[in-house]
Amino acid sequence: MAGLRLQKLRKAFGAAQIIKGVDIDIADGEFVVFVGPSGCGKSTLLRMIAGLEDITAGDLFIGDQRCNDMEPRDRGIAMVFQSYALYPHLTVYDNMSFGLTLSKTPKAEIETRVREAARILKLEELLDRKPANLSGGQRQRVAIGRAIIRKPAVFLFDEPLSNLDAALRMDMRMEIARLHKELGATMIYVTHDQVEAMTLADKIVVLDAGKVQQIGRPIDLYKKPANRFVAGFIGSPKMNFLDVRVTGVSNGAVTVESPTVASVAIEAEGFSVGDRAVLGVRPQLLRRGQQQPGLGVIRGTVSLAERLGAETIVSLETASGERALAVIPQDEVFETGSAVEFVFEPDAAHLFAA
Amino acid sequence: MRTKRLSIGLGKTLAVAALLFWSLFPIAFIVMSSLKPGQEIFAVPPAYLFTPTFENYASLWNRWGSFFDGLLNSTIVTAGATALAVSASTCAGYVYSRNAGRFLNASVVFLIVVRLIPPIVVTLPLFPIINAMGLNDTHIVLIVLYATFFVSLGAILMRTFIDQIPRELDEAAQIDGAKPLTILLRVIVPLAAPGILAVAVFVVVFSWNEFLFAFIFTATKAKTTPLVISEMIGSIDGVDWGILFAASTVQLAPVLLFVVLMNRYLVAGLTAGATKG
Repeated sequence: MAGLRLQKLRKAFGAAQIIKGVDIDIADGEFVVFVGPSGCGKSTLLRMIAGLEDITAGDLFIGDQRCNDMEPRDRGIAMVFQSYALYPHLTVYDNMSFGLTLSKTPKAEIETRVREAARILKLEELLDRKPANLSGGQRQRVAIGRAIIRKPAVFLFDEPLSNLDAALRMDMRMEIARLHKELGATMIYVTHDQVEAMTLADKIVVLDAGKVQQIGRPIDLYKKPANRFVAGFIGSPKMNFLDVRVTGVSNGAVTVESPTVASVAIEAEGFSVGDRAVLGVRPQLLRRGQQQPGLGVIRGTVSLAERLGAETIVSLETASGERALAVIPQDEVFETGSAVEFVFEPDAAHLFAA
Repeated sequence: MRTKRLSIGLGKTLAVAALLFWSLFPIAFIVMSSLKPGQEIFAVPPAYLFTPTFENYASLWNRWGSFFDGLLNSTIVTAGATALAVSASTCAGYVYSRNAGRFLNASVVFLIVVRLIPPIVVTLPLFPIINAMGLNDTHIVLIVLYATFFVSLGAILMRTFIDQIPRELDEAAQIDGAKPLTILLRVIVPLAAPGILAVAVFVVVFSWNEFLFAFIFTATKAKTTPLVISEMIGSIDGVDWGILFAASTVQLAPVLLFVVLMNRYLVAGLTAGATKG
């Protein structure tokens, strides 16, 4: 078991800077998810931790050891690949025991450990099969089995579920969560799927363009996004962003308004009168209603209403051509083209620099 | 419509028949002649029905002991050259497949260029060097020469094969604790086996049949079968065609068998990388 410390990590391929100085502390036993859009460097960062990519600058500590120049095999890590990367010519048993065989572990112990991993992952019946004869979910479990068996201090997962269909993905997600509880090992998990990030993580690291945008507990990221990128990335459907102008500033509160948004005071700092700003409101926090003192209001016409039974997703087009979504937690009829007003609690809204 | 299809079918059949005749006739002629009594071999019209006899093989055994020494030499040289060419090609192909760089890319071009030079141009100047090293008339010189001819083609072929093996497998093995050589032997080689066999077929066929370099670099101790057969033709007591055909059949058999068995891989080797998946 071990924690990790990433200090000012950098990675450049020639002149292209991929990772631009990343600092992350990961506690022993923590489940950390690196999340971000494709090309943000999250997989590269994981591969740097694994030792599959060289570290251009900065320090990587696993436990108390600086691992920059250490071979992958000596880092005490195991990795699960997106493509599973099972050895096609070996049986499930041999796939899982490959590493132990190389380290000349006694046969009897290999046997015990393979059986144990197979039991945890329900692979007992499949040990003699070759990967070609396994389903996607089974292959993924073998790949996880191959990681478990090494008893690593740190598990690395590189988008392990993205090749699975939706139903299976949910099962495997729960299985990975269960595994984390059972093994208590440190796990680092890379995904572009914010639902996976929200459900699995003790701590989420949001990355964009090779930089850490925010680190925190999932719910903190959801409720208190550090910037517009995080606000837009975490949460589904995406947070609504509306251009507003600052009309008043008084201790801790900033009053904003626009042709679309009625004047409302939001808790924020660092703005002055006349600034352009972006108001962020989650679709789930909008509800149909009339303007009242203390509530924010967004006005527009309904461009589309999707009735899903348990909820209704309303697309709104404002007079200035901006779009907003509202998720109404019940079945409700909205006429397309009709004018509507949605209200929101200002406490739950966010204000970002334009 | 029907007649058109029929005539196309007929045309195909004829074409295949012509091709088969073209390629199989010499082989059939040699094998059949080896089983005929000496005087019937060149009989006009040829005797298609005859009582097979093994007397030519018996005479070959009794009078041409050097032929069987030649077979042994050929076997040693072929096995050695194949092993060497296959290992070198596989190692080189692995490096080419998994690494990039200006120097490496340039060296691929170099490999192809070298292959285009007539081998004899490069080889003849080697004669004095090989003499000085005392390697003349040894198996080693032929093994190294034959292998060398195929390393360039083999390396490029192996690169194509290994390119099809996902790199994640190397990485998974690396994390599992495998060093590069272990990855090569335990992951890459088993998966690239069809490519390795394809390269092997090329080298085996070439080494087994090669005449010119064997003629230049060997005299007695390392003499291969093609040389012995050529001696039969130039024999002072006249050519015994029966024995010659028996010897040719024996020389032909192993390589024919090998190619037939490996046919599948040979075709795979020729078309490797032509299409995806």
